Amino acid sequence: MLDFQNVSCAYPGGESVLHGMSFHIAEGEQVGLIGANGAGKSTLIKAALGLIGAEGRITAGGLPVNGKNLAEIRRTLGCVLQDSDDQMFMPTVLEDMLFGPMNYGASRREAERLADEALASLGAEHLKHRRNHGISGGEKKLAAIATVLAMHPRVMLIDEPTAGLDPRNRRALINVLGALPVTKLIATHDLDLVLELCDRVILLHEGSVAADGPAEEILRDRPLLEANGLELPFCLAGPPERRRERRET
Amino acid sequence: MNKAEKARAELLAVDELAERDSPVHRLDPLAKLLVTVLYIAVTVSFEKYDITGLTVMVLFPVFGYQFGLIPVRTCFYKLRAVMPLVCAIGLLNPFFDREILFYAGGVGVSGGVVSMLTLMMKGVFCLMASFLLAATTRIEGLCAALRRLHCPGLLTSLLLLTFRSITILLDEAAVMTAAYHLRAPGQRGVHVSAWGSFLGQLLLRSVDRSQRLYESMLLRGFAGDFRFAEGAAGSAASWIFAALCSALILLFRFCNVSAAIGSAFM
Repeated sequence: MLDFQNVSCAYPGGESVLHGMSFHIAEGEQVGLIGANGAGKSTLIKAALGLIGAEGRITAGGLPVNGKNLAEIRRTLGCVLQDSDDQMFMPTVLEDMLFGPMNYGASRREAERLADEALASLGAEHLKHRRNHGISGGEKKLAAIATVLAMHPRVMLIDEPTAGLDPRNRRALINVLGALPVTKLIATHDLDLVLELCDRVILLHEGSVAADGPAEEILRDRPLLEANGLELPFCLAGPPERRRERRET
Repeated sequence: MNKAEKARAELLAVDELAERDSPVHRLDPLAKLLVTVLYIAVTVSFEKYDITGLTVMVLFPVFGYQFGLIPVRTCFYKLRAVMPLVCAIGLLNPFFDREILFYAGGVGVSGGVVSMLTLMMKGVFCLMASFLLAATTRIEGLCAALRRLHCPGLLTSLLLLTFRSITILLDEAAVMTAAYHLRAPGQRGVHVSAWGSFLGQLLLRSVDRSQRLYESMLLRGFAGDFRFAEGAAGSAASWIFAALCSALILLFRFCNVSAAIGSAFM
């Protein structure tokens, strides 16, 4: 479904960010993309979507990522951006949801039907006519996911889905993501979320794949995580040392 | 709330006015746009001493605000920065044109005074009509109307994105101003020594944010031309409104209705 073969890329005028990266994501897989800040998670997503040029071979849904296929690639790969404010640029949630389907040739009525379906699948029908600047961060994240779902992507690339959410909204979002029946690549620092939602983890370190394997194995490997600028997920690490000490005294 | 936040809130308030539901809001944006353009063209075409003929043109904005459920004071408040400039245009006329045109209560009124008042009225009426259009029609509706007039897609997309980008610019300015004042307590405004870096940062941040928004649009199939959700043709009522308004505006232009009403009572 998504294939990277020896992919390297660099920002214009900058140094190389991804170095000879190779991996394959099969249909239906739930993959967590983890790594320290600057490891290349967001760049990898941008490269998959053709937003930055890359050397090597990237294919999505069998199509190589190049200028000719970009429209189809971006329909296949739905991307939920880290900052929902960047994703929701129209005045209302509904208009944002119509934007994608109408660009792909759907009529207004058909686009609205797709929007209704997407909102219903997230249980977010109440957001349909709300103004984007008047909804909370959690609602905005749901709406952003809905705008992507309305385009019926085969793979969802989700960048930092829980960033800035309170625990209740985080939990709600995890439930929503878990219920979505599509292939997912989730780039995040929230390792507990990865442990809960993903079967497989790709660990990046300075633009290369440091580890690729079952989530249960990689996320329990403290030395591997620490060597790559991460820590064990909270649920596996237990309460922090200082708090434990205080309790004991 | 700093000035940038206030400006952003005011901009959003106009957007919210345009989302209200009233008979004027429900009219086809194209019909409203055409009538407003005709109104402005006719208003500015009045001769400089034709104050009586021009007076009756106030009816269009007055009824528009009434049926659009928009308080006229909102218009004057929102346009408070522009109104004085419009009114100032003819201020020098009384000094250059001193020929007495008529006497009012024994006081001679010069052509300069009349032309000054005419210019002011033209400016105010045109601003009122423009604001009425903006307050009853969303920018997407206006852009869709322009597309139906075969205006190039690039131009309408540019118009729409410019309008939307203003809020981004104000957002960034608000955040930066707040950050500045948190570290410069008691200081009024941004110190002149920081203007250069402030503007530079504002530009960089706005470009960065706009780039992310643009990427988000590309990811959802944007190819340079907006597919406007509001592009459908309007109801028959819209075109009856347009025809009626156009007929009245042209009637007011070519028949001095004010003078006719006045002579009926004299």
